Amino acid sequence: MSARRSRSGPTLNFKAVLLGEGCVGKTSLVLRYMEDKFNAQHLSTLQASFVTRKVTLEDGRRAQLNIWDTAGQERFHALGPIYYRGSDGALLVYDITDQDSFQKVKSWVRELRQMRGTEIGLVIVGNKTDLEEQRAVEYSEALQYARTVGAQYVETSAKENEGVTELFELLTRLMLEQRSQREPDASPLRLQNANNGDADAVSVSDESETTTPGGQGDTVGQRSCCGI
Amino acid sequence: MATAARPPSLRLGQQDLKCRTGCGFYGTPQNDGLCSMCFREKFNDKQRKLRQKAGETAGLAPGHAPGFTDRRSPQHGHHGQGRGEQQPRKQEAAETSGTLQKKKFTTVLQKTLQAGAQKITQQRSHVPDPTEGQFLLQLRQLRIPDDGKRKLKLEIQRLDSEIRKYINGNSAKNVDELSDAVQNAYTKVSDIVHNDPSFEIATNEDRDSAIDFFEKVVMTQNHKFLFSPYFTEDEDSDVKVQKRIRQLSWITAKHLDCSIDEVNAEARDLVYNAISELVGIDSYYSPQEKLQCTVRCCRHIFELLKRATGGPASADDFLPALIFVVLKANPVRLHSNINFVTRFTNASRVMSGEGGYYFTNLCSAIAFIENLNGESLGISSEEFGALMSGQQPYSTPWESALLACESLHLISENMKRMEGLQKRNALISSGIASFEKELIEFQREVTERVDTVIAKAPLNLLPIKTPAFLIGQARAHLLSDNEAGHYQANVLSGGGGSLTTQSLTAATSLAKPSVAPEDSGLSLKDTSIGSMGRLSPLQQNLQPADHLFASPMFNYAAFDAVSLLEDPVTTEGNDGDVMMLGSEFQGGLTNINYDFDLSDQSGENSTADESKLNLDEFDPLVQKSSPIAQKPPALPETPTLLDSTTDSLIDSEVPGTAVLLPSPLKPEVANYRGFSNFDIPSISCNTGDFSSLGHEGVEEPK
Repeated sequence: MSARRSRSGPTLNFKAVLLGEGCVGKTSLVLRYMEDKFNAQHLSTLQASFVTRKVTLEDGRRAQLNIWDTAGQERFHALGPIYYRGSDGALLVYDITDQDSFQKVKSWVRELRQMRGTEIGLVIVGNKTDLEEQRAVEYSEALQYARTVGAQYVETSAKENEGVTELFELLTRLMLEQRSQREPDASPLRLQNANNGDADAVSVSDESETTTPGGQGDTVGQRSCCGI
Repeated sequence: MATAARPPSLRLGQQDLKCRTGCGFYGTPQNDGLCSMCFREKFNDKQRKLRQKAGETAGLAPGHAPGFTDRRSPQHGHHGQGRGEQQPRKQEAAETSGTLQKKKFTTVLQKTLQAGAQKITQQRSHVPDPTEGQFLLQLRQLRIPDDGKRKLKLEIQRLDSEIRKYINGNSAKNVDELSDAVQNAYTKVSDIVHNDPSFEIATNEDRDSAIDFFEKVVMTQNHKFLFSPYFTEDEDSDVKVQKRIRQLSWITAKHLDCSIDEVNAEARDLVYNAISELVGIDSYYSPQEKLQCTVRCCRHIFELLKRATGGPASADDFLPALIFVVLKANPVRLHSNINFVTRFTNASRVMSGEGGYYFTNLCSAIAFIENLNGESLGISSEEFGALMSGQQPYSTPWESALLACESLHLISENMKRMEGLQKRNALISSGIASFEKELIEFQREVTERVDTVIAKAPLNLLPIKTPAFLIGQARAHLLSDNEAGHYQANVLSGGGGSLTTQSLTAATSLAKPSVAPEDSGLSLKDTSIGSMGRLSPLQQNLQPADHLFASPMFNYAAFDAVSLLEDPVTTEGNDGDVMMLGSEFQGGLTNINYDFDLSDQSGENSTADESKLNLDEFDPLVQKSSPIAQKPPALPETPTLLDSTTDSLIDSEVPGTAVLLPSPLKPEVANYRGFSNFDIPSISCNTGDFSSLGHEGVEEPK
């Protein structure tokens, strides 16, 4: 990662992967997010699997966000490492009307923590809140789970455009903190501040404790995991 | 051997190069010092005599020489005294090419003999120099300060030598070490570019392009060492994955659950594009270019998916499609390329950006293919095994679609082409029809116009007016001849038929007899009537061919004589007029052939008297008479031009008329010279004048 760190321009470059089962709305989230910003006309030339966007947070920090969509089909699950290798954050999306998709997220989280440790910022996203009446995964359940794995939890509706922008801003903030945490000159307080600032989101103050045992040992895996 | 280029130092004599037989051709040592011809002869016949015979052809030598020289063997020529300039030079060229071939052969030999580490040193010498120059140019074009450029160049050279040192070193090699070294160099360069004072004024884009440039140069220069290095397993994996993909040729889009319509021609074209880009990755040197190629490939796939799904495609659709494309493309050196990029490109490149994303997808596609099993394709493992081992026959829509579509495609394309051809054909035939119509119309128009012109300006053949005194004169001259009467009769008959006799002068008639005796009678007749003869153009068409041929000579003579005659009569001032009249006349009656031979008719009448007449013609007397006779013809014209009261003028024989008289003969002379061989408008001036006069409406009553 030394090379990336060296590329310290005015805006930091972040890579985030979208993980989750098929049909949970990963692509819709991205589309909604981009559409919001760029209007619909841009979508005609846009593919939804890879998007770049410059984000400016409220506190003035800027970041370049690269969002990589991944194929959600089960058969491609094994390919995950190739995508999240070197990524700063991961959006783990599930469908709140689909319990299986939530289980899938769990498996992703396990894998990510195992492979990437705390290097990677995780945001669990419960999508399709517009289908509240069909909800299969309770908010509290998901929140509880996110807390235990040191992830953020957000519920969104790509269809109603609820919480989408907030989701990506949260992700950006998280990744910025993660980055500054790893940088020698960055103050660890930042993370605390950011976490405190996320009043409505789940507090992940206990993140470091929960994740340390699972993830720290596997730094070598970053390279070898992808198999090529 | 004489290898110097300068002639003085060469001691090759022409003689040494020639065939031993002395035939004059050049010989070759292979042919025992004989030229090829002699050699062949010698071998075919085994007879020495034949060689001698060849010697007789020595005269031909010079022309053949070069060809034979080229065939000379470079190995040894006879080097003696004398200085042949061209031949030695040629021989030298042949020599160099010969040694080159030899060299090539030895290098091939060496290559096959050498192996292992020596292979690398060999490769070193193949570093493309032209690209280096290109890079220098690009470096100069970079928009960074000169200081920065110098530093950049230094860094490039440093990394370059580092890589080569590592490759050529004796220590155990690990590609990861090399990769780390390169990545560290990237970091260093990036640091320099971003933090060095010499780059201070550069913009971010310029800095990035500088880093890109650094990477591109180093990677292109060292592609040979870094791409699929011998101490890695890359080649093996390449072969493996290729074999595997070949085994998986039965996989269809359905297996992969991707939305590619294998039968659709449009989709197929896009898949083709993607495939060709994917295959093209191998042809680029630098990682950037390889990545760009990947991006292009993926864009084609996205285009394809957008058409299939009707919206922006997600990764759920994209990855299967990419896998499908990779399977159908089966690119060469897949692993080598992937590893080359992963190891040696700037790490940030594959970690972010569109190129990175697509590249990552490509990697995962390959990983998927390598770890493919029945489950991942939605078929039982037994079936998978059977398909893989080839026990179970299969037919994929892709292949069959390729076959079917190829033929269908061809058919449809041919149909289109045929349609186009048909259209063009119709166009041509309609064009032909209209052209035909036009032609007919044109023909009609022309005839019409000619008719109207003829109607407007009918050719009036004025009756021959033979002034009585002239006839008298003529008679006096030809007193001895009984024929005079006969001629006159002819003339009269001609005039009665409104066909004028030839207006040629007596000189014509004089010349003619020698050529065509038949005509002599006519010419004589002409002489007698001489001056008043009028050309009837219409009759000429009836002329037999032989007469036409005879005419030129006759014509010439006539005109020369005429011109001689003319001079005293005409004044210079009239020449122009005559020309004008003559040309007008020609223009108006182009259809008509004017030939002097018209007089033949009269000649035919007088066939019996030919010989006699001829003799008469040669008489100096006749010649004398002709000039006299010639004078009058000019005279009657003047009146017609000015006023129709010819008779009085002629009668008066006013010399002043000469002033007004157009010199009728000059233009004709010109005509005759030019077209002497043809049946040309060799109009006698008199006629011309008259016809033109006719146009003007001045008509003489018969």
